[in-house]
Amino acid sequence: MNTEKNIKLKLFGIPKLYPFIKPYLPKIVVMVILGILSSLVDSIYPIFNRYALNNFVGKGTLNGLSVFVILYLVILLLQVIDNYAACYMCGQVEMSMDRDLRNASFNHLQELSFAYFNQNNVGYIHARVMSDTGKIGVMVSWRMMDIIWNGSYIVFVLLMMLILNIKLALFVIVLVPIAAILTTYFQKKLVVLNRKIREINSKITSNFNEGITGAKAIKTLVVEDKIQGDFEKNTTKMYKTSVHATHYSAFFTSAITLMSSIALAVVLWRGGNMKQEGIIEIGTLSVFLSYALGLLEPVQNVIVTISELISVQVNVERFFKLLGTESDVADTPEVIEKYGDTFNPKKENWEPLHGDIKFEDVSFMYPDGDEYVLEHFNLDVPQGTNVAIVGETGAGKSTLVNLVCRFFKPTAGKILIDGRDAADRSQLWLHSNIGYVLQTPHLFSGTVRDNLKYGKPDATEEEIWSALKLVSADGIVKRMEKGLDSDVGEDGDMLSTGEKQLLSFARAILADPKILVLDEATASIDTVTEKAIQDAIITVTKGRTSFVIAHRLSTIVDADIILVVQDGKIIERGTHKQLMEAKGYYHELFTRQFAEMSINTAVGE
Amino acid sequence: MKKTRFKNKSSIVLYFLKGSAIFFILAILVSFCVTFLELIGPKIVQYTIDNCISGAAATNSGSVPDYILFLMERLGGKEYLGTHLYLVALLVAVIAILTAIFRYLFRVINSIAAEKLIKRMRDKLFEHIMHLPFTWHGENHTGDIIQRCTSDVDTIKMFISEQLLSLFRIIIRIAVAMHFMIRINGELTIASAVFIPIIVLYSCFFHNRISTGFEKADNEEGRLSATAQENLTGVRVVRAFGREAYERERFENQNYEYTNLWISLMKTLAAFWASNDFISGFQVMLITVLGAVYCVNGVITVGEYIAFVFYNSMLTWPVRALGRIISEMSKAGVSIDRLRYIMNSEVEEDVADAKEPPMDQDITFENVSFVYDNGSEEVLDNVSFKIKAGTTFGILGGTGSGKSTLMYLMDRLYDLPEDGGRILIGDTDIKEINRSHLRENVGFVLQEPFLFSRTLSENIGITQKEKNEKEIREAAKIAALDETIESFGQGYETYVGERGVTLSGGQKQRTAIAQMLVSNPPIMVFDDSLSAVDTQTDAKIRKALSENKGNSTVIIISHRITTLMQADNILVLDHGKTSEIGSHEELLNNNGIYKRIFDIQMQGT
Repeated sequence: MNTEKNIKLKLFGIPKLYPFIKPYLPKIVVMVILGILSSLVDSIYPIFNRYALNNFVGKGTLNGLSVFVILYLVILLLQVIDNYAACYMCGQVEMSMDRDLRNASFNHLQELSFAYFNQNNVGYIHARVMSDTGKIGVMVSWRMMDIIWNGSYIVFVLLMMLILNIKLALFVIVLVPIAAILTTYFQKKLVVLNRKIREINSKITSNFNEGITGAKAIKTLVVEDKIQGDFEKNTTKMYKTSVHATHYSAFFTSAITLMSSIALAVVLWRGGNMKQEGIIEIGTLSVFLSYALGLLEPVQNVIVTISELISVQVNVERFFKLLGTESDVADTPEVIEKYGDTFNPKKENWEPLHGDIKFEDVSFMYPDGDEYVLEHFNLDVPQGTNVAIVGETGAGKSTLVNLVCRFFKPTAGKILIDGRDAADRSQLWLHSNIGYVLQTPHLFSGTVRDNLKYGKPDATEEEIWSALKLVSADGIVKRMEKGLDSDVGEDGDMLSTGEKQLLSFARAILADPKILVLDEATASIDTVTEKAIQDAIITVTKGRTSFVIAHRLSTIVDADIILVVQDGKIIERGTHKQLMEAKGYYHELFTRQFAEMSINTAVGE
Repeated sequence: MKKTRFKNKSSIVLYFLKGSAIFFILAILVSFCVTFLELIGPKIVQYTIDNCISGAAATNSGSVPDYILFLMERLGGKEYLGTHLYLVALLVAVIAILTAIFRYLFRVINSIAAEKLIKRMRDKLFEHIMHLPFTWHGENHTGDIIQRCTSDVDTIKMFISEQLLSLFRIIIRIAVAMHFMIRINGELTIASAVFIPIIVLYSCFFHNRISTGFEKADNEEGRLSATAQENLTGVRVVRAFGREAYERERFENQNYEYTNLWISLMKTLAAFWASNDFISGFQVMLITVLGAVYCVNGVITVGEYIAFVFYNSMLTWPVRALGRIISEMSKAGVSIDRLRYIMNSEVEEDVADAKEPPMDQDITFENVSFVYDNGSEEVLDNVSFKIKAGTTFGILGGTGSGKSTLMYLMDRLYDLPEDGGRILIGDTDIKEINRSHLRENVGFVLQEPFLFSRTLSENIGITQKEKNEKEIREAAKIAALDETIESFGQGYETYVGERGVTLSGGQKQRTAIAQMLVSNPPIMVFDDSLSAVDTQTDAKIRKALSENKGNSTVIIISHRITTLMQADNILVLDHGKTSEIGSHEELLNNNGIYKRIFDIQMQGT
């Protein structure tokens, strides 16, 4: 799926992200300062210890203890306030940037052409909007703060040690680059192994999916044990890979803590000697012991964070790839000038649409395809004509409709609407005049009313009911507990497919479109509803320019023109009668479906 | 009546822990060693400072455990060590290496335990699901089951391998540290320990309180995600109705709500972290000051003071984690119950002493009546007929007449109720037949074929114990599939399904036929399996079949008279009732539904 090229981004893509960071820059600057202050305080605490050891314990007196306690408390309180402010601001920056990035990608998607939606599946696009943005937000807030915190802590501790005693400091500092190199090496290994683990994990999930959706086949074939065996192969692989990865990570973390202890040992030895020789005081030795133990973990943290930043780069790249994708059916500046754009239409300049459509020498190839599916295609569709498009599932019946709706633009040739090139008017103008009923009816979560009014936000109560009556869907709504205010559930889950279909017919009618596109349902629905839908189709297409993508051929025998599609290409055209007489592919398709129709007719009598 | 396999949460957890429990116990033991070794370090530092470095002759060494004193004596005693400090450093290093080894072991053993556990959970769940009756699959949503098998499984693994184990480790750590601390000074230990319950309770209280906030945020995220999802899946509707601007507003509003909720949560979280920082910081300060006072007063030595401060600071993080872990652990209970639901569902079981009769016998349906639980309109009402061994039997009926149900009952995908009549193979009621024996001998080509995401040859040969290329090819030839397969780039090794080529409906049906033919069963069922195949190929396949079927009994369900007319006997079903039965000629003479269908199909085309 992932065909994206790796665009190399500088500095984890932060320069490119700058426009999104800019509004929060003052906050980020404050955050960074607070972070540095906080780690400064962290590096100071051992100094308090040193003071206590040198001045109280060492001198055997408690003079100045109250000042010591007060100072300690004040610094502690300041750090707590500092941490609170830093965390809160960090959260604010994270969430606000997330929000802005999500809005930007979502809004951009609203203007992208269908080429994009055809080439990328919904799950993939959804992840671009929801998860990439989140990861980027975390990167510029928390991950950055992690680096600031740990990085400045390391610097402060090193400085502190150098000030206290250069010689002893050097013994500890030597270990820092070693820890850094070790971490980098293991982190690289782990990234690879973790990717492998994720791959196996997704295999296991699809195994579950196959085992459950394929239950009927598995049972009738009696292959439970075989499928189970293959499943266990994957779980065994998972086991081995995970344990293997743990060997690395366990070795690595043990090694880092080992190094810390070695640092402690060295300090105890060399520092102990210095204390014996009176070069340093006991308090200084104790400070070094704390620093030695606490220095390497931040080093490890910084490197792990950097490797996380590297992995977020992919998300940044994908995000900008999405924003950089341009719609290939975008309106020209002149059109936008006159008719407005998607979000700011100039409706006052819109002409009424009559409904004459003409394909003039149209050739078309899908942007991701390598073959023309239409070549020099000509078709005249005067206002009120019913065009039916038939063919097997997956044969490419939607192509023509995609062109009429300007979801795609012709590779060559023109589509004329009311005699003018469709590209001369805005997409929104055209879309506002098209009614579309989908094969898999799509309802939005919300009430029945919200859904019906989707195409005509200002529809009155009477208009709604008359549209419902027209497609005999009024019964469905009346049967629902709250009538028009009933919730349809997520994706219309509370309704049957047939009911959803009828409601989406009503929605299309309510918008009173000049051009109507129907994609007939393939799913089997009960016979009563099917009859209702067929009647609805006849009602709504009457007097309108319409395109019907048909699966049940009985629906379209009366169409003005039938186009027959095979392997993406239109191979026959004519009326039902003409096509049956030609005894071609249409005849074949019709015969095949006729068997089932005939039985239902015979039994129904 | 229903027996429950796992009565409570602990019984199923123990069941899953089989095989991994021993590793978990081992991990806890090793973790005890790690903690002990880690906490010995400060004791050695204490000894060294008191006896070798600080010069002021140590007053007592009572708080240093005997084994350390013994060790130090063996290394040469305090005077000797005082001049040979590197020996102490070496000792610290040796202990550090031992710690590192045990730490490494702990992580690896823990990982082995955790991965064994999750593997067992997955394997057992999958196995159980494989053997659940088909009705169960109808009653439960695929998405929900997959959710349980993936994220709930992960939650339980986390619960045991991380939360439960951390709980043990932290308790061990606190206990061992307390042990050493008490030896130094009881009063100081109490001063340090009083904070533990405060921090834990505060954190428990906070996490419980904020969990509703998290839930709300999760729901809000779900809504935002659903809004994006709806927009993307409904992109055609959005565009066709020209409602991009509305969608944008909807998403942005939702986005703001979600973001604001999180920001206010962040505020609470930051306050919690900061207040927790303060409590821990205050505790550290208190111990530093009190320790200094005790030290100045001569109650404890300098070394003891340094060691005590070390121990105290080593407890800070584990104690803080404790509250979080305890409150998170309660969440696992829900996941355990969700898995218990699956594992408690009853699997298909054979009667005691199930028979394995020869299957090349007559098949008798005796007064078979059946109603689906889910209120589907498809029912069978007192259907009786007999299929003679070795003959071909046709079933004809309209949509929803119960044709497929008859076959599902025969293959025991659904079981006939007590008063629902009988189905016999020879003289044996199928209820008494071993289920695998029954299904292995009934080759069933489903109406909607299911292909596994494997290669074509693996799909066709899925029932083979050992792969046999020749049989696969022969079966493919009979199913008129051989040429089609050869036309694919990788022939029989072409991958189908999710990551491979998409087959057309007809190709899928033919693959399923080949798959069934490979096992050459004595009973073959074709459930409308040629509906997507064109008439010529249909005829070709039927011809090849009749030449190759041998003595098998063949049952064909179809809508096409031409497909059925050569059958020895044809059953005509009308809304779940037997309408007529007989050979093609007999039925034509009957002048019933069959005749009517025949007339329509013959003249209609």
